[in-house]
Amino acid sequence: MSSRLINQPTEWIDRDKPFSFTYEGQKVTAFEGDTISSALWANGIRVLGRSFKYHRARGILTLANHDVNALMTDGLDTNIRADVLPVQADMTLTAVNTTGGVLKDRSQFIDKISPLLPVGFYYKAFHTPRRFFPFWEDKIRKAAGLGEVNFNYPRIPKPKQHAHCDVLIIGAGISGLSAALSVAEQGLSVIIVDENAKAGGSLTYDMADQASSQLAELLNAIEQHDNIRLITNAYAAGYYADHLVPIVETSGITKVRAKALIVASGAFEQPPVFRNNDLPGVMMGSAAQRLIYRYAVKPFEKGVVVTANDYGYRTALDLVSAGVDVLAVIDMRREGSRSPLIDELKDKQVAVHKASCVYEVIASKHKLGVSEVVICAYDELMAEADTKNKIRLKCDGVAMSAGWAPAAALLYQAGTKMRFDSGLQQFVPAELPEGVFAAGKVNGVFELSQRALDGQRAAAEAMNYLGKSVATVEVKQHQGTSPSHAYPVVNHPKGKNFVDFDEDIQVKDFINAAKEGFDNIELMKRFTTVGMGPSQGKHSNMNAIRILARIRDLPVEKIGTTTARPFFHPTPIGHLGGRGFHPHRYTAMHEWHIENGGQMTAAGLWMRPACYLPEGCHLTAQQATHQEAMAVRTKAGIIDNSTLGKIEVYGPDAAAFLERVYTGKFVRQKVGQYRIAMLLDEAGVMVDDGLACRLEEDRFYLTTSTTNSAMVYRQLQREAQLCGLSVSLANLTGAKAAMTIAGPAAAEIISQFSSVDLAATAFPTGSVVETQIADIECLLLRVAFVAEQAFEIHLPAAAGLSVWSQLMQAGQPFGLQAYGTDAQRLLRLEMGHHLIGHDTDGLTNPFEAHAEPLIAMDKTFFTGQRSLQIIAKKPLNKTLVNFVLDSNCVGELPNECNLVIDNGDIAGRITSIAFSPYLQRVIGIAFVPPEKHLPGSRFDIRNDAGDLIAATVIQSPTELAKSA
Amino acid sequence: MKSTLLKSPIAFAQLSQAPQMEVVNGMLTAVRFADKAIESQRAHKLAICDTSAFQRVSIKGSQAANYLQQLGVTLPETANQWQLTDERLVMRLGNSEFLIEDQTQNVKPAVSELSSAKGVHKVSRNDAAFILTGNDIHPLFAEICEIDLVAELATENHLVMTVIAGVSATLLSQTLNGERIYRLWCDGTYGPYLWKTLLNIIEQAGGGAVGLHHFYPKI
Repeated sequence: MSSRLINQPTEWIDRDKPFSFTYEGQKVTAFEGDTISSALWANGIRVLGRSFKYHRARGILTLANHDVNALMTDGLDTNIRADVLPVQADMTLTAVNTTGGVLKDRSQFIDKISPLLPVGFYYKAFHTPRRFFPFWEDKIRKAAGLGEVNFNYPRIPKPKQHAHCDVLIIGAGISGLSAALSVAEQGLSVIIVDENAKAGGSLTYDMADQASSQLAELLNAIEQHDNIRLITNAYAAGYYADHLVPIVETSGITKVRAKALIVASGAFEQPPVFRNNDLPGVMMGSAAQRLIYRYAVKPFEKGVVVTANDYGYRTALDLVSAGVDVLAVIDMRREGSRSPLIDELKDKQVAVHKASCVYEVIASKHKLGVSEVVICAYDELMAEADTKNKIRLKCDGVAMSAGWAPAAALLYQAGTKMRFDSGLQQFVPAELPEGVFAAGKVNGVFELSQRALDGQRAAAEAMNYLGKSVATVEVKQHQGTSPSHAYPVVNHPKGKNFVDFDEDIQVKDFINAAKEGFDNIELMKRFTTVGMGPSQGKHSNMNAIRILARIRDLPVEKIGTTTARPFFHPTPIGHLGGRGFHPHRYTAMHEWHIENGGQMTAAGLWMRPACYLPEGCHLTAQQATHQEAMAVRTKAGIIDNSTLGKIEVYGPDAAAFLERVYTGKFVRQKVGQYRIAMLLDEAGVMVDDGLACRLEEDRFYLTTSTTNSAMVYRQLQREAQLCGLSVSLANLTGAKAAMTIAGPAAAEIISQFSSVDLAATAFPTGSVVETQIADIECLLLRVAFVAEQAFEIHLPAAAGLSVWSQLMQAGQPFGLQAYGTDAQRLLRLEMGHHLIGHDTDGLTNPFEAHAEPLIAMDKTFFTGQRSLQIIAKKPLNKTLVNFVLDSNCVGELPNECNLVIDNGDIAGRITSIAFSPYLQRVIGIAFVPPEKHLPGSRFDIRNDAGDLIAATVIQSPTELAKSA
Repeated sequence: MKSTLLKSPIAFAQLSQAPQMEVVNGMLTAVRFADKAIESQRAHKLAICDTSAFQRVSIKGSQAANYLQQLGVTLPETANQWQLTDERLVMRLGNSEFLIEDQTQNVKPAVSELSSAKGVHKVSRNDAAFILTGNDIHPLFAEICEIDLVAELATENHLVMTVIAGVSATLLSQTLNGERIYRLWCDGTYGPYLWKTLLNIIEQAGGGAVGLHHFYPKI
């Protein structure tokens, strides 16, 4: 049976665009502009989903984005909010969390055994024995839950946009729109955002006081302003420092940074609590109005309105005008209402029962809807119904109006201090943060004309905050009866009087939680899970606070509220992830690495080849690494070292500056030489090392490790600012490419491109020269990090690929092979060199790493010197040594971080370990007790299998090679 | 032995678009990505162009401004401003730091002729440089930058140093051939990443890559 009404002047649907879709296998008709729920309701479909825990049938509750028991699955997509999502022709919808369909859900038996499943049941029942918990967890997760995550869901990058404005207004109701106009008229830019498909807020469904004509005027005025950007179908998801508010739309997130923020987000209607207040057909008064005025759908055929404020009378009249047979208005207040609407209702033959309540709703067959309501006298102070005289009214619907809770999440997040206004029975802002303003219902202003004025007042305050001079606007305080009831709860011995519809939490659950000792609002939230469902307590938190206040016999303001955190509303992970901006740095030779099978790995931000597995190569990565290392030992290898940090230090005080920053001495260093430069932090911890090349008396070229280059440059800049020396710094890391050619044939290969005499006598280790290689200005260094004979070439990045390619070609006859970072690590291990940051940690000082030769303690000052002076007086705790495993070692090879064991105690750890194909031994570096530092000392390593593997301290693996 | 050819830092990222390459200022550079009509459409909608081949150098130090002025280089008066004279663009990145970019090698003194001196530090560069243009530039900027770039660059001869898609960059806005364009410079090692990231967004918006000849047909 269709519940579609005749044309409503305010309706959002386009009757010229009908279509059909499928729900639970049933074909359903709709109009463009319908939400899923409105279309289903229009077609007489009342069961839109099943509840989270007890699998009770549920229908429309709010139609305001909080109907979390009406979540749908459509193909790959799930947890679609039916109450607000526009229905589309190609949808094939099913309700989530059912077994065998929404009408015959086999899991509905849980509702019958619900007395056995109070809150906290799982914690207690399945806590022990622990080994069974995974079993029970699986069962619980299957029985309770939302939509099933589909791991085949396509990755659709949702862009994250940034926007800026003078004033951001949250909520496009009468307050927000009025505020926007006031701000725009002063020439400021405004963004106004609203979660509804159309602007207007309650003006689109609460038709009191000529609302629709007021709305049309406002929207017309808004349209005239170029400096107002109105965004609908979007919600402000959170508040972050400096008025940064993410706006979530279907297409993605826009991060709005505003100079001032006006929160005019309105209020959520709150349900009264009575038995079976969750059945399909029982809905908020505002939900009924939304159905009528936005979607032209009759909420039900025959029903009652239960109210605890005057708003219910307006709802009742709206229902009557929509053709609903309203049997009665049940007013929970002892004194009832003095509203003139009562007379209008009486004229329409609607009975009004004051000091009464809906004691319970009687479910229809299979609990799929309403068959009748039981009306009793009600003592609002005691929250008790007098069941002696019950009235039973046969009907199929109930509209509920008990009050409002402010949509104040953003205000809380911004740091607003709220107070409880007992006249309004609502939390309202008491002290707003700088640049944040509130207007309308969220500010405790309910009367329509005053809400418009309150928007103008907030706008004036915001503009004055921004430096304008605008006259203030006076707003009248709320007069008359409270829009919200102090305790709209009806106790019932059989329960099922729901407070939280997300998680099926009843009044007795709060009482039980308090008895268990969870009588603080934050503890109660966690024990009962109230407010932790998808609606995040928008319709339950206020009632939960009231119930707890009554249990503890405290005023509501003493209970306080739970913490409101971003995001305000569940947001798709795809939105949060958005399009990724994850920068990577590429060396000039990247193209060559890819073409030649480079297995690229991230080294910090850089992409580097770990090893090379060219097409057709059948080696494993480890075999390739060993082959690359052997090429360096026996022929020649080349590695792309462009990722090294490269810093030019220029100026007459360059050497003095380096002496201040690094541990060594540089003033007397000769041009054409480099020295190892070690950097400490103020605590004397080793943080980096590199080479300091003196190119001219007043010019040094520094290298740093790849990962520390930015940190070192920052520290140098800081020191340059502090020391007052005449020095200029330039970070050339990206401007220069670098490569190292190492191995016996290295000099011969380079000599084809350079006139520099590379003989060890003419150009020994420690030498550096500015020269040309392949006609390109280069820096050439003789180094000994990975091999006895090795040369580093630093050159302009733009020439890197060309020079690399020429060297590779020229090196072919010599067996030149490119090697990656894995081989480099093995090669330096064979040379006995530790890596700062790999073999050392955040506590290692130079004495523990035998770096004393790099320290000039007799200098006046260097960073970390004073700490070293203190450390030097204390005994060493550990020392870094090279070691080798026995040649006949059996068992699982130890790994990095395996423990060094001495007399059964932990005495250190392995920092590096690898099998050397050149030495045919397993070598490594380890922290051991200081007394084990001498070559020949023995210690044990506990491998992952738990076995002890014997190791021997050696001076250096190079000694092994010589002895072999 | 073949001669050494310079390569744009973005060249690797452009391979899949198979552009027409030519040597510009000694650097192999993408000069066309499609025929002129298509490139014009892209430039109208939203386009990106690699201008890394222009010659660049930084001059910094307490005497940098004096040094350049003595050589006849016209400088912006204050920091965060730029000055275009003939084919030379001078950006003042700070009180005592300048980024100089020459479109051709005809400008005198050439960047190669500039040198370090007392209080003057010549710093070599390897920038990835781009032109961004098109009617849909606003949503692009709104996605890749947290600040309001269009507003920031609306002031004539103003330049901005900010973060673009996670990368530190310098930007300015110019009028070139009657069109409003945006210039962008970043460390060359981030160039391929930035090119791919921006082009991905630009192509989704219906734009694309254009070659250097679209903006500088005579180069």
